Amino acid sequence: MIKKLGLDKYSALYLWGLFIVVFGIWAPDTFLTWTSLKTVLVENTIVGVLAISFLIPLITGTYDLSIGTMMTMSLVIINSFAKNTDVPLVLAMVIGLAACAVAGFISGLIVVKLRVNSFIATLGMSQIITAFVYFTSEQTISGELSKGYQQIGSREFGVPLYCYYLLVIALIAWFVLEHTPVGRHMFAAGGNPEAARLAGVRTDRLVWSSLVVSGVIAGFAGVVYSWKVGTYGPNVGPGYLFPAIAAVFFGASQLKGRANIWGAMIALLALASGIKGLQLTQSGSSRWIEPAFTGLSLLGAVALASRNQVIKVPKRKQVDPVVAPATPTPVRAEASV
Amino acid sequence: MTPVLRIEHLSKTFPGQVALNDVSIEVAPGQVHALVGQNGSGKSTLIKVLAGYHQPDPGGAAWINGEPLTLGDGAAAINAGVRFVHQDLGLVGMLNAAENLALTAGFITGPGKRIRWRDEIARTREALEQLGVGHIDVKAPVDSLPPSNRTAIAIARALVGWEDGANLLILDEPTATLPGEDVQRLFEVIHRLKERGVSILYVSHHLDEVFELADTVTVLRDANRIASVPVGELDHDKLVELIVGRHIDSVASSEVQSTGSPVFTVRNLRGRTVDGLDLDVRAGEIVGLAGVTGSGREHVLGLIAGQTPRDDGDVRLDGTFIENYAPRQAMAAGVAFVPAERALRGTMTGMTVRENLSITDLSRHVRNGRLHRKSELDETKDWIGRLSIKTSGPDAPIASLSGGNQQKVMFGKALRLKPRLLLLDEPAQGIDIGAKDQLHKLVEEAAADGMAVLVASTDTDELVRLCHRVIVLVNGEAVATLIGDDINAERIEHTQLQTHGRPQ
Repeated sequence: MIKKLGLDKYSALYLWGLFIVVFGIWAPDTFLTWTSLKTVLVENTIVGVLAISFLIPLITGTYDLSIGTMMTMSLVIINSFAKNTDVPLVLAMVIGLAACAVAGFISGLIVVKLRVNSFIATLGMSQIITAFVYFTSEQTISGELSKGYQQIGSREFGVPLYCYYLLVIALIAWFVLEHTPVGRHMFAAGGNPEAARLAGVRTDRLVWSSLVVSGVIAGFAGVVYSWKVGTYGPNVGPGYLFPAIAAVFFGASQLKGRANIWGAMIALLALASGIKGLQLTQSGSSRWIEPAFTGLSLLGAVALASRNQVIKVPKRKQVDPVVAPATPTPVRAEASV
Repeated sequence: MTPVLRIEHLSKTFPGQVALNDVSIEVAPGQVHALVGQNGSGKSTLIKVLAGYHQPDPGGAAWINGEPLTLGDGAAAINAGVRFVHQDLGLVGMLNAAENLALTAGFITGPGKRIRWRDEIARTREALEQLGVGHIDVKAPVDSLPPSNRTAIAIARALVGWEDGANLLILDEPTATLPGEDVQRLFEVIHRLKERGVSILYVSHHLDEVFELADTVTVLRDANRIASVPVGELDHDKLVELIVGRHIDSVASSEVQSTGSPVFTVRNLRGRTVDGLDLDVRAGEIVGLAGVTGSGREHVLGLIAGQTPRDDGDVRLDGTFIENYAPRQAMAAGVAFVPAERALRGTMTGMTVRENLSITDLSRHVRNGRLHRKSELDETKDWIGRLSIKTSGPDAPIASLSGGNQQKVMFGKALRLKPRLLLLDEPAQGIDIGAKDQLHKLVEEAAADGMAVLVASTDTDELVRLCHRVIVLVNGEAVATLIGDDINAERIEHTQLQTHGRPQ
C-alpha cells in the first residue's frame, strides 16, 4: 500500500501538495501569493547550500559536522576584510572560501591519514574553527558591506540572485554525483569502502576531496549570508546545521532510496512551505513551529521509507549443513546462563 | 571409570544429507580427546548438536559423568557442565578481559548493584594466571590483544566456576586463525589445562596438534565414526589414512608440465600466514591453491591483489611488478580479483546490479565527460545474458539476488576487465550447485581464451574439477604441486595434512 502510492519515496511531494491545499484553503490571501513563495525561497537558500555541503561527503560515507562553523568563518573573514582593509570584497570572498577549503583539507588529513572517525574529526575541527572565529571577530565590529559587493548576490531577478546560485550548485552537484564516474565512485566508497577499494576506486582520495568541496560550499553559504543580511554574529552558522542535516536525511528517503540532491531540495522546500503556512496561520509566537515541524516530518518520512526495509525475522529453523555458517551462535546460549 | 562424556548412536539428518550416522564417542576424564575429520565429515554437526544448535535425530543418547543429557538443548548442556569455546570465541571486542569474563560469569556486585571492579579484575587475573597467561592486560579491550591472548581469555572465561560442577571443555578449532607463534603459546595454555585435569574435546584440522596435545583421537569420515584410538598407537600416515579413507604414498611434487613460460610469477611472498611462497602460472593455465585454514591458502590471493599488505615478495605479471597493497595498480597491470567473503569485500549492498558490475571500469561508458546510461545498461544486459544472472533487471538492487547470482555479478565485474590474470578466492562459497557449475564453466572458458587463473579453495572437489595444477600449502609454504592423475580429492587432502616441511 505504502509502496503503491509511493509514500515511501515521494512522501515529501505528497506533503508539499498537502500543505499547498490545506494552507491554500486556510489562508488563501497570504499563503497562495508570490510573496510567500519568494520568502520561502529566500529564507531557505542558506540551508539549501549547507545541505549540499553536508550531502557531498555523506555520499562517500563521511560526516562533516564542521560546515556550520565554516560558514561562519567565511562570513567573518569577509566582514573583517571589509572593516579593516581596502581589499576588494570579491577577493575577500575568495579568501574566505579558500580558508574553508583549507579547513576541509585538514579535516580530510585527520580522517584519511590519522584514521580518525569523520564524526569526531569534523566535530573537533568545528570547535577549532569556532575558536578562530571568536578570536578574529573580537577585533572587528559588524559593519556595512559595500553596495557593489551586495549587488553580486542579492540583485533581484524575480528572486535574489543567490537563489539562482543555489540552483547552479545543485545542478553541478547533481551532474557530478549522478552522471560522472567520480560520482559513481563516491557512492561506491560510501556503500562498501573495502569492495570499492578492491574494485580500483581511490576511496581515500574521494573522502579527502569531498571534505574540501564540502568546506568550499559551506563557505559559500557564509557568502550568501553576507549578501542577504550583510552583518553577522559569530554564532550564526551552527543554527543552520541541523535544518540542513535534517533536509539531507529526509531527502535521502526520497526519490532514489539513497542520499541525493533533488530529494534534499524537495524535502527542504516541502518543510519550508509547511512552516511558512503554519506561521501565517498562527498568531503569537511561532518560534516553536520550525523545529517541531522539521523533527516530526524527518522522523515520519524516514520511518515510512524504512518500513519496507524492515526484515522479517524468520522462525528459527534447521540450517542446511552445506550453507551452515562456520561460526554458530550457541556461544550466546552460554551467555544466557 | 565413568566417562565424562558418552554419546551413543547419535545421528543427524539434514534434508538430502546425512551429517552424522550412528556416532558413538566416549571421552575419559582428564584426557584431551581430539576430534578430527575432513570438511563435511560431521565434526561441526556433532559440536552443534552438543551445543544445542541442532536437534539430533531420535534414537541418540548422551551422558555427562553418567547423568543423562538432553541433546539439542543448549541450556541443558551448560547446566550439565559442558563449556564451549567456539572458533569465533564470542568475545565482545570493545570490552576488556574482566568485562568479557563477567558477561558470562555474572558481575560481582556490592550494595546497590554496584559492580565491584576490584574483585572482578582480581578474579580475571587469577583465571588467567591459572592458564599461565597472567601477563595479559585485563584492562585492555580484547580487540587490541594478540589473537592467542584472545583465545586464552575465551578459555579462561569458559573455565570460570569450573570447580562448581563443570566437566568438559570443548575447543572448536582454536588454532584455525592463529599465526604460527601464537599456536605455540596456545599449546602451553592447553598443557596447563591438562595438568589441572580438565577434560577436553579438541576439534582440529591440524594433525600435528593431535600428536602434540591429545591422548585419544576420534576420526569421523562421511558422517561415520571411523575409529577412536589412543594417539600413542598411531603415526602420522596411519591417522591420515583413517581420515582420508585409503592409503596413499607420500608424494613429492609431480613432474611439472613445461609448456610455455609463465606469465605470472611470485617469489618469496610473505605476509599473514604466508611464509615465503613461490609460484608460477602460465597463460591459459588454471592453478589451484589448497591447504587447511592457517596454511596460508586463505591469504595468498589477497596479498597479490592488494587486499592485505605484504611483508615481502616479488609479484610480476608479464614482467610488470604488482605493487604492494595497491588494487588499482594491480588492475591496471591486468589482474582481476574476486575476493572471498563477498558481503564484506565484493558487493556494494545499497547499489544496483549495474552499478556493482560497472564499477571496475567506468571509463568505457563516458561520452563527453558524462556517464552514458544507455551504454552502461547495454553492457550490463549483455553480462546478465552471458552469465545467465537471474535478476529482475539491470537496475535491481544487488541484495535482491541470490548468493549464486551475486557471485556471478562479481565474476562479471572481474571478467569485463579482460584480465591477463584472474584471481578467485573461494569462488563457490555459499552458492548452490547449479550456479557453481556455471561459474566453473566460465572459468574454463576464460582460461581457454588465454587467461591465467589462480583459484584458492577449501572445496577440494572444486579444485579437482577445475585445475590443471594444484599447489598444496602447509604452514605458509608450498609443499607439493600436483598434476594430472594426482589431482584427486584424496591426494589433495592427504597432502594438505602433512605436518612436516617440504618432502625431499
